[in-house]
Amino acid sequence: MKKLRVLLVDDEIIIRRGFRQLFDWEAHDCEVVGEAADGMEALSQIDSLNPDIVIMDINIPIMNGLKVIQLSRMKHPETAFIIVSGYDDFAYCREALRLQITDYILKPVDYEEFGACIDNLKIALFQQKSAEETEGGEERIINKIVRFVQNHLAEEISLSVLAEEFHFSTQYVSQLFKNEIGVNFLTYLTNIRMEKAKKLLLSTDLPIAEVSEQTGYGDYRVFTKVFKKSEGVTPSQYRRDFMDGSKAGK
Amino acid sequence: MLRMEIALFAVMAFVAYIYFSAEKKYTQLHSTFSVLLVVTLIHLAFDGITVYTVNHLDTVPRLINDICHRLFIGTMIFIFFLFYQYIAILVEEETGKPRKLVKTAAIYLIIAELGDIFLPIHYAVTPAGNYSDGIHVIFCYISVAFYFLLGTGLLVANWKSIEKKKKTAIVIASLVELTVTTLQGINHTWLISGMGITLITLAFYLILENPDILRAELTEQKMSMLYLKSQVNPHFLYNTLDSIRIQAQLDGDKKVADLLMKLVEFFRHSVKVNRPMVSLDDETELLDAYMELMCYRYPELDYKCDIDPDLGEVQVPNFILQPIVENSLLHGLKNKGYRGEVAVSAHKTADGKLELCVRDTGSGFAEGKRAQINEMLANYAKQTPKLTGNSIGILNVQKRIKLLCGREFGLRYSENEDGGVTAHILLPLEEAEE
Repeated sequence: MKKLRVLLVDDEIIIRRGFRQLFDWEAHDCEVVGEAADGMEALSQIDSLNPDIVIMDINIPIMNGLKVIQLSRMKHPETAFIIVSGYDDFAYCREALRLQITDYILKPVDYEEFGACIDNLKIALFQQKSAEETEGGEERIINKIVRFVQNHLAEEISLSVLAEEFHFSTQYVSQLFKNEIGVNFLTYLTNIRMEKAKKLLLSTDLPIAEVSEQTGYGDYRVFTKVFKKSEGVTPSQYRRDFMDGSKAGK
Repeated sequence: MLRMEIALFAVMAFVAYIYFSAEKKYTQLHSTFSVLLVVTLIHLAFDGITVYTVNHLDTVPRLINDICHRLFIGTMIFIFFLFYQYIAILVEEETGKPRKLVKTAAIYLIIAELGDIFLPIHYAVTPAGNYSDGIHVIFCYISVAFYFLLGTGLLVANWKSIEKKKKTAIVIASLVELTVTTLQGINHTWLISGMGITLITLAFYLILENPDILRAELTEQKMSMLYLKSQVNPHFLYNTLDSIRIQAQLDGDKKVADLLMKLVEFFRHSVKVNRPMVSLDDETELLDAYMELMCYRYPELDYKCDIDPDLGEVQVPNFILQPIVENSLLHGLKNKGYRGEVAVSAHKTADGKLELCVRDTGSGFAEGKRAQINEMLANYAKQTPKLTGNSIGILNVQKRIKLLCGREFGLRYSENEDGGVTAHILLPLEEAEE
């Protein structure tokens, strides 16, 4: 898998240096290719470097981060953005969702947990790519596998189940995930389970236990714990925040 | 006529006494008014004296008569200068534009005072009473007219931008000035200038300088100071802390970085005070961040938090555990050199309520203190807010629980058999509505 190229945007040099040095980019198949300290600089860096990922502070001089994303979206539809902001309010979050940001994280950034964010991004990038690929021609094996996973989310699913289904060794399937998506199988599984859970939480009024069931967690306590770790809030809080947010938005 | 001057002097002395004993904000306007009051008092005194001397030209030596007269007129011109000055400052405060003609007014004052000292005085003797006339008095009229025109000019030019109350004061002052001067000009023996000056000063005093207004101004100033003090921008605070944390980690000091991370987390949780109710999980996260920092500072301090994950989603009033725990630390464990344990637990009671317990192994209550505190908590509504020290914190927790959850819930203390105390917080057991 080719390395993902990362641009860092923050007006504070310490924060850029922190990202550069304190996160193990190498281990996540990424490399930092540039930095920008304000909105204008960010725009021109995105144009000239065409990065895969932009780590973007919202509150930056000259032009705010959301505006930068809006402007560069048109020219660089492939670029993924991670918004890093100290403003933990939902208004920003929702604005960001409208801009189809791949992720949104809050300061203070815990570099040990930042890897999860990159993993999510890789999965999102992969899904975007595979959606384009299925348009025509032969379906690749990894696409077949993830489609199977997606259709069987509520069931017990593991590397050995996949190995049996597709007649490969478990190591091979595991390697396939690592090579094609860039994350290990479990990370991928948890990620799409959480995506499904979020969709169910916001689009239905199913009770938490039912959501937990449908996303493959028999024990809703385990589900709540995993959800909290991945989203920072509990499932019911997530649902409540969204309701409050849409009320406030009206 | 002397009786009127004495009465006016008494009234102004009384006003001056009230004005000077009131605490007030230091402003140019108030200092001008203070000077005005003092000069008015001096003027009224000489007004009274000249009323006597001018009518006893044969018994009072001419020199003394002249000196008193020149002082009387001199202070009068100065007063009209001050009236103008006062109006000019008012207008300046209202419009925000700097005063013009400051120099002109001051230079004219010097000319007028020189004229007062050197121009010859002539006394007219009539059966109705004596008065001064001639060039000296005409010059005085010109000075009054000069300042009157400056003042009314300012008023007219800035008519729209002056607040109604201030406009009223200036209009009243101008009308009195005009009327009294005209009447005095026509009837030389009336000698009513002192009355005019008193009325104008009183108009300013009653409308713009009275004690209520001074107090309100002062309170406003103090409030805005307090407001500014409390407005340390939380974003600045945790953004800066975060930069320091990253620098520490860059320097390889993971321990400091972790502590700062905890501090930032604590701030972030405690800044979210706009929500009255939070989940028990949120509440314990704040407490965890706080206690991890405290345990770092006092290595012999232990903290345990044992809450059934099933209860994590229960809604509780925001910011209730931390004040209770802080209370345990400051009044229980501090006395034992911060050696001991704070244990927080949550359980369902037999009648379906939620009980949170904060148990410490501190020094416990002094004799009778438990009864006293529970008594205070039971009568929470009657407690005056001036209670000392940390009881404000637990009282505040009690009040909020009663307000948000109902009167049957709340906080009470018990003593542990093996030392220390336990705070029991009884709350309704309701999950957030799904």
